[in-house]
Amino acid sequence: MTTLAATPAPAKSGSNAAFNDKGKPMEVRLSNMVAAKAISDAVRTSLGPRGMDKMIQTSKGEVIVTNDGATILRSIQALHPAAKMLVDLSAAQDVEAGDGTTSVVVLAGSLLGGAEKMLNKGIHPTIIAESFLKASVKAVEYLTEISVPINLDDNAALLRAATTSLNSKIVSQYSSTLAPIAVQAVRRLVTQTSSNVDLRDIRIVKKVGGTIEDTELVEGVVLNQNVVVSAGGPTRVEKAKIGLIQFQLSAPKPDMDNTVIINDYRQMDKVIKEGRQYLLNMFKKIKKTGCNALLIQKSILRDAVDETALSFLKKLNILVVKDVERDEIEFLSKSLGCKPIADIEAFTEDKLGYAELVEETSDSGPKVVKITGVKHKGKTVSILAMGSNNLVLEECERSLHDALCVVRCLVKKRALIAGGGSPEIHVSRLLANYAHSLKGMEAYCFQAYADALEVIPTTLAENAGLNPIAIVTELRNRHALGERNAGINVRTGLISNILDEDVVQPLLVSTSAIELATETICLLLKIDDYVQAR
Amino acid sequence: MSMNIFGAEATEEKAENARLSSFVGALALGDLVKSTLGPKGMNKILQSASTGEINVTNDGATILKAIQLDNAAAKILVNISKVQDDEVGDGTTSVCVLAAELLRGAEKLIAQRIHPQTIIEGYRIASAAALTALEKSAVDNSADPVKFRQDLVNIARTTLSSKVLSQDKDYFSNLAVDAVLRLKGSTDLDHIQVIKKVGGKLTDSYLDEGFVLDKSIGVDSPKRLENAKILIANTSMDTDKIKIFGARVKVDSTGKLAELERAEREKMKAKVEAIAAHGINVFVNRQLIYNYPESLLAEKGILTIEHADFEGVERLSLVTGGEIASTFDRPDLVKLGHCDLIEEIIIGEDKLIKFSGVAAGEACTVVLRGSTHQMVDEAERSLHDALSVLSQTVKETRVTLGGGCAEMLMSCAVDNEAKRVLGKKAIAVEAFSHALRQLPTILADNAGYDSSDLVSRLRAAHYDGRSDAGLDMNQGTIGSMRKLGITESYKLKRQVVLSASEAAEMILRVDDILRATPRKREAV
Repeated sequence: MTTLAATPAPAKSGSNAAFNDKGKPMEVRLSNMVAAKAISDAVRTSLGPRGMDKMIQTSKGEVIVTNDGATILRSIQALHPAAKMLVDLSAAQDVEAGDGTTSVVVLAGSLLGGAEKMLNKGIHPTIIAESFLKASVKAVEYLTEISVPINLDDNAALLRAATTSLNSKIVSQYSSTLAPIAVQAVRRLVTQTSSNVDLRDIRIVKKVGGTIEDTELVEGVVLNQNVVVSAGGPTRVEKAKIGLIQFQLSAPKPDMDNTVIINDYRQMDKVIKEGRQYLLNMFKKIKKTGCNALLIQKSILRDAVDETALSFLKKLNILVVKDVERDEIEFLSKSLGCKPIADIEAFTEDKLGYAELVEETSDSGPKVVKITGVKHKGKTVSILAMGSNNLVLEECERSLHDALCVVRCLVKKRALIAGGGSPEIHVSRLLANYAHSLKGMEAYCFQAYADALEVIPTTLAENAGLNPIAIVTELRNRHALGERNAGINVRTGLISNILDEDVVQPLLVSTSAIELATETICLLLKIDDYVQAR
Repeated sequence: MSMNIFGAEATEEKAENARLSSFVGALALGDLVKSTLGPKGMNKILQSASTGEINVTNDGATILKAIQLDNAAAKILVNISKVQDDEVGDGTTSVCVLAAELLRGAEKLIAQRIHPQTIIEGYRIASAAALTALEKSAVDNSADPVKFRQDLVNIARTTLSSKVLSQDKDYFSNLAVDAVLRLKGSTDLDHIQVIKKVGGKLTDSYLDEGFVLDKSIGVDSPKRLENAKILIANTSMDTDKIKIFGARVKVDSTGKLAELERAEREKMKAKVEAIAAHGINVFVNRQLIYNYPESLLAEKGILTIEHADFEGVERLSLVTGGEIASTFDRPDLVKLGHCDLIEEIIIGEDKLIKFSGVAAGEACTVVLRGSTHQMVDEAERSLHDALSVLSQTVKETRVTLGGGCAEMLMSCAVDNEAKRVLGKKAIAVEAFSHALRQLPTILADNAGYDSSDLVSRLRAAHYDGRSDAGLDMNQGTIGSMRKLGITESYKLKRQVVLSASEAAEMILRVDDILRATPRKREAV
């Protein structure tokens, strides 16, 4: 490497080593900060209920409209290493809490700003990093202190949290529809003792058509696929016995290479006849079990179901849905209480699932297959999401996912705190007070950390078109007077008791945002060089 | 007229030039990594030129491995740091920095017209003296388990305090010590599995006994199983194909085709029967298990795990004591694996399978959480360093003191030795002692302290007989390393001095660099 070899070997003795050669590390650090702050500025305007949306055009030419921080950052093709780390940070928050993906990045950007000031004062980066970590521990402590424990039976509290999360999304006007869905979906899965919820047990089926208001929690199961009607089979079956099959209803095809050799025309008839006979034997077995609805797994090797089979199925009055993906099998078998059947020989009655009604309806626009009144229902939930076009639908799904995550956070850690910038101001104030009791460089760093936290209320106010300085100082003032729950009421543009406005968020979202942001900042601060590797 | 002795483009650098280029390369490398040394060391960003992937690290070996070099001497330094990584696992930066400092000293001596061989002689005397002093200072506490454990915790703390895990070093040092003590003296770190999951914070990481496999349990299988008898296999579970290329079947009717299909199914069924005949309730396959055998196995109440990759299968076989089978005709010859409980656990958003109460009691899993990929990757490297140092310490139980204490101790011993050496060699011996003193100097520099002041105080303390004095990096003063519990493995320190002086010697001896013609690449 030429640059390496060209570096002159500085002939320095130990005597003055402390005072030179510190130019480059500072440069690297500043470049990291500039990049990270650019990322945080990019998503900053989408924070809060009055946040703006971003339109993203992907490399494939798709268009996404969203204000979900994680989604925006995932689509930005960040090049700078520090920028990439912030993208990762937001993804980690998505995994951990599911919501607050914008806040975490904004917070990280602001913390970096604070750290930069400390660096300019000449404080050593490792000391800043350590103090920031200590401050974050303290901040989490303060947050936990003001949190209100909740009971999972308290439907209203869960609803409030879900609504707050949804209010900052594009679909905010539908929060009254979506919030109850999210809360109910999670509540169906949890018990008093569960400490986590597997969101894969909640399936969101998206259909274009209707409006977001038509989105509903289905009592039973909704399928992604439609009924095969090309041969005129039924689309509605009552008292359904459902078979979930992983074999194919078409001409036999062994795995080995094979050729059917036909020597003369009479053999043609024989081949066709035997093909029909083969299918007929299968259907006899199916008929014997009384099965009247079939879900067929997708197959790449051969047709899942061919025309002949379809006409047989019509005669037997069996409803057919094909192209079920292999990874859906687990969910379907769990929710329908049936077992997947991989071979016709194993097609027995005990493997079938029972439902009162399997029906393809088009009440709200698009055709949807619903299975309702399932006996032996497993612990799963299906949500049918509707929207007038794909963009809205995708955003609706993302928002719903965030709302589900918010409710899940409450299951993980059963405590709520106020929203509207109130907890940040509270923590910032207490930290600043605490900083006065410290001495040395730590005191400065704690103060800087406390100031950095104010970015959340400031941004909330900015995005809502309010005067951030007036609002934040008033907020600080109210808190100092003892109104712990005073927060920014974005709707009225005033400071009010935010708990009365029902703006609440799970404790976990805030604590995890603070912890993750601080951790990443500390890693960034300790970087002093940038090496091009293989 | 000049003659071409070498082929075209082959180059030769002689005497002065050769030495200069070695020194420049080695010193540049030393300067590159030296800022990562010690508890206040800095990290580096490594960006891969080909994939753009980024890594944040302060592990010397990782940095050195990643950079591209075109300097023979620099490559030697990379190699010794690699050897250090393999041998002890930590101290990869120290060894590189010490070697660079030795060369820096040698450069000055050569400028004073001292022959390289004389320098080498002096360095040899010095390194022998240093090692004797180091050995004398080493303490062995292996007889007392409580004290020994404390030693181990201290070593782990010292190692981790210079890494990304420094904030949570108490937590992680206990975790690492627990993991290593489970190994009961073995240095086979394969038993300790590290699983990285982004999300959560570092302190959410935990040590779990048993083994965790990052796969999911098959459809329709029980999600929790006690007293598992496990058959680990590497066999195709689609269909037993005839593995002759181009084999094909010719039939003259669909009915025959159906029969063929049926025959294939029967064959599969027979295979499943053979597998079930082992009396197992868990079947783990490296390859995919298709729908049909899966449902057959599920019917028999056998839990199936498909597509466990090579590494997963091998580890599983190691920890459960089962053998990897690929034929199933002789159940009596196959060794089955055992564990008390198999269950699904959720980490972050992913479901994993946990095997607890496994046959190999030493097996354990460390689950690392962190905010970014870079964070967990670096945490893994740090933890790996700590684990390998600890496992080496369990074997070679002597410990010595860190924080620049051991270096200063050696430096003093070398200084004393220098007084007794006759001839020019003595100057080289002194240079060695100076190089050793550079390590505490760099430690102090990195923390932003006044290094010259601190190091001279440290030396004074050692001459006063306070042989446990070292740098207290939190206060920026001289303190007793024994009281602060800053301990390092004796083997690590010895290896650092040994390899660094050997490498320096080797580079010093060079007086001619011949570069072969680079291989021609075809134009892309």
